[in-house]
Amino acid sequence: MTAALEVERLGFAFDSGREVLREVCFTVADGECLGVVGANGSGKSTLLWCVLGLYRAEGEVRLFGEPLSRKNRHKVGVVFQNPEDQLFMPRLVEDVALPLLNRGVPAADAARRASAALDLAGLGGAVARPASQLSLGERKRAAIAAALVTSPELLILDEPTAELDGRSVRRLAAMLGELRVARLIASHDLTFLRGLCSRLVVLSEGTVVAEGPAAAILGDTPLLEQAGLV
Amino acid sequence: MVLRSRGKARRLTRCLLLLAPVLMFAALLALMQWLAGMPVTWLWLKTILVFLAAKVVVRFVPWDRWLFRLREGSLLFHVALFALFVRHFAFVLVAEGRRAFTARALAAPRRYGSGWFSSLAFAVSAFFTRSIVRAERFYAGQWVRGIGE
Repeated sequence: MTAALEVERLGFAFDSGREVLREVCFTVADGECLGVVGANGSGKSTLLWCVLGLYRAEGEVRLFGEPLSRKNRHKVGVVFQNPEDQLFMPRLVEDVALPLLNRGVPAADAARRASAALDLAGLGGAVARPASQLSLGERKRAAIAAALVTSPELLILDEPTAELDGRSVRRLAAMLGELRVARLIASHDLTFLRGLCSRLVVLSEGTVVAEGPAAAILGDTPLLEQAGLV
Repeated sequence: MVLRSRGKARRLTRCLLLLAPVLMFAALLALMQWLAGMPVTWLWLKTILVFLAAKVVVRFVPWDRWLFRLREGSLLFHVALFALFVRHFAFVLVAEGRRAFTARALAAPRRYGSGWFSSLAFAVSAFFTRSIVRAERFYAGQWVRGIGE
């Protein structure tokens, strides 16, 4: 079976010469939920930006067997750490519908599909409100709805639980758990990832120090200590 | 009665404070023309009038609701989308500015005390750095959705 995402020997350094990623390799199978864990500054977010092609990195990134390019980038949905970086329209439904409209879907159809996506995210009552009037948890779910509305085959999330309270984390986990698309989640929230991911990749100082089943990784306290996670 | 007129005075002061950056900008334009030995044109007045007209339009015309009634890909659609980008980023700048200067005020609360000037310089530089980071993230956020291209 073709992997949804293959990352091979990915390396990246900023212009200042500071090396952030070295020889990073991993794969995400179709339908799988893979977690990338690491302490603050370990290179998780940079890794996602490199995978998305937002930073020019060394190595290879393949999406369903093909190099990531403009042609197949539409297969990826992304949710950034701060939903304000993605939501800016006067009404939530327009924010979610915009990528559809941009792809040539008629406005009425785009609005209908956006409303359905917001319903699934538990935000059916907030379609006419701007994102700025929602709580952070609601905004995160709205950003996920905006990413899912185009039916991506891979969903990438950067620190989805950052700054969320317990209830919002549970709702988010439930929402992500129901999805059947491949998911790549970068986070240092081990409790959140424990219930969601089948496999984990541990990143420390820009390199993969461990990869394996979530239960095995999370049970290895010396490894987690070495990676600065406990 | 006294309370009511105080409230009016406060509202008027707030309005004038909102206008202050535009008035300063207009005055700077006129000053630069005068310093360069050029005739001082009506540019300063036009600047204020354009600002006031834009303020009225933004306040009373629901332009931001029109995007979905416009044909996707049309010039007006792109103009409205660009205006929404600019508006969103203006909010981001205000929020970042508030954060940087509040942090600075908390760190150096004594006016003209030790570190007062240097902290001001650092707050301004932090504001620019954070604005660039936020701009980069916002652009990336739209780019991955296929909108920023």
